[in-house]
Amino acid sequence: MTSDEQLILELQKGSDEAFTELFLRYRERVYGFFRRRMNDAAQAEELAQETFLAVLRAVQRYEPRATFRAYLFGIAFNILAAHRRKSGLNATQSDSTREDVSDPSGTNPENVIWVRQAVDRLDVAEREVLLLREFEELSYEEIAKILRAPVNTVRSRLFRARMALREILATTPGNLGGRK
Amino acid sequence: MTSSTHPFEQEEVMAYLDGELSANRAANVAAHLRECAECAALAEQMRDVSVRLSDWSVEPAPANLTKNLEAARAEHVVAKVRKPRGFTGRLGGKFPFLRNRWVWAAASVAALLILVLRIGLPTARQESRQSEGLQLAYTEQSRSADTPESKAVGTASDNFKVRPAPPALPASRGSSPKFSSSSADGQSNPEPTAPMIARTASVSLTVKEFAPLEASVKAIAQRHNGYIASLTSNSPQDAARTLSATLRIPSAQLESAISELKQLGRVEQESQTGEEVTKEFTDRAARMKNARATEERLLDVLRNHTGQVKDILATEQEIARVRGDIEQMEADQRSLQTRVDFATVELSVQEEYKASLQGAPTATATRLHNAAVEGYRSAIESLIGLGVWALQALPTILLWAIALFAPGRWIWKRVRRTSVSQS
Repeated sequence: MTSDEQLILELQKGSDEAFTELFLRYRERVYGFFRRRMNDAAQAEELAQETFLAVLRAVQRYEPRATFRAYLFGIAFNILAAHRRKSGLNATQSDSTREDVSDPSGTNPENVIWVRQAVDRLDVAEREVLLLREFEELSYEEIAKILRAPVNTVRSRLFRARMALREILATTPGNLGGRK
Repeated sequence: MTSSTHPFEQEEVMAYLDGELSANRAANVAAHLRECAECAALAEQMRDVSVRLSDWSVEPAPANLTKNLEAARAEHVVAKVRKPRGFTGRLGGKFPFLRNRWVWAAASVAALLILVLRIGLPTARQESRQSEGLQLAYTEQSRSADTPESKAVGTASDNFKVRPAPPALPASRGSSPKFSSSSADGQSNPEPTAPMIARTASVSLTVKEFAPLEASVKAIAQRHNGYIASLTSNSPQDAARTLSATLRIPSAQLESAISELKQLGRVEQESQTGEEVTKEFTDRAARMKNARATEERLLDVLRNHTGQVKDILATEQEIARVRGDIEQMEADQRSLQTRVDFATVELSVQEEYKASLQGAPTATATRLHNAAVEGYRSAIESLIGLGVWALQALPTILLWAIALFAPGRWIWKRVRRTSVSQS
């Protein structure tokens, strides 16, 4: 299978197929990136669309030094930050209190709710590191670049986030949902 | 759990689970996890947190996302993704009409028309030049590119009739006999219609009479409307005198000038070479033309549009750069033109040497005096040399002597003691 990096290089040369392939590969993940950080599904969709357009606009600036995934979520993070600035929120601050969104694919909807509430209770900076690691699967270094923070800081925040989440989840009813 | 009781920080255990440790470090942490129940429990809790988080899936992306993106691409991609890069791209951003392909098509057609006209006009222009009484005229024979003369390297100048010009004003400087258009407006580029050949000749002579040679060479250069670029004359005491000169002669008169030079003495060696520079000239002319067109367009942009100050500055910088290029190319073109207009003749002349008995031998008294002076001088020199050497080397010798004194003494005593005991 052609790697993401090869595809973006082909896109630089004007290949429409390469863009379509990248879009298909990352559509769900980019949408998920915004959806986990905001309550408004329509808004998440709009920002996901904006992210892909930004990739197209800035494709010539991509340098093969970074993985495409890090590049893509870097753009997504910047778009999210810009959106939050417009909305009067901090770059790493999440939207207003989220309504619980039903999760059609989840094995146990209750678990999802507890997990989300637990994540919401985390410190904002720690939460962002956790999400970028767990869902966007970025390395510490890639996260550090996106957040413009030292790698050690990223590691410490991630550790604190996981420890805090462990404490919160241990005291929530979700803990009884069949898992340890 | 701290590093005082465990060899690894908790964060390192986490980094191990995330695959962020080096292979060595990871192997050590893995080994420790097998032995340490506390750390293994921490790792298990970390994994559990990740598993719990993985429950948090979101609904699939709406189908609209694909549709809307396609629509947005249709609007933006053509204009933005395929936007030409570089300076023209930035201009296109500021002046949307430049993005229109029809504007570029019209400009290309206009450029092509101008090119065709430029190539088609030479003959007509040539006629007008003749009537204007220029010094050099293009003859009917030279238009026939098939004649052997015009093909042969080194004979292209035969195609031109040269009118006498005052020596102070070198014949065709600034205007070429081979070009169909002049540079009257300072903008047009001459188009070569015959091969342009930079000619070089080399002549070596041996003469019997050396004295009048320099004047003769100067006279020949002057007679042929050329000039002497350099002239060196050597008159060693016990050897033949030599003269070497570089003459610049109008290409058209090269042959006659060389034949006159050859009459000055016996020819030892003669050679002629011709370097065809038509392509170089034409290429540069085309580049100059393009650069001028670019400059004109940039000036138009500057005149007709009022943008932000930084855009105006960027345009002005670009104009300055293009102007610099044009001036550099013009200078190169002029230099090449001079090489074509004026052939280079390397003249090397040697006098036929006759050895002669000169002067009386030096007096014995003088020789003795000179020898005494030399002897005294060398004695003083050797004394000074010794002093210099001593000053340079003595410190080192002293140092080593001090350093080696004690071990030397010890060895000496030991040897003596051994010899005494043996005896």
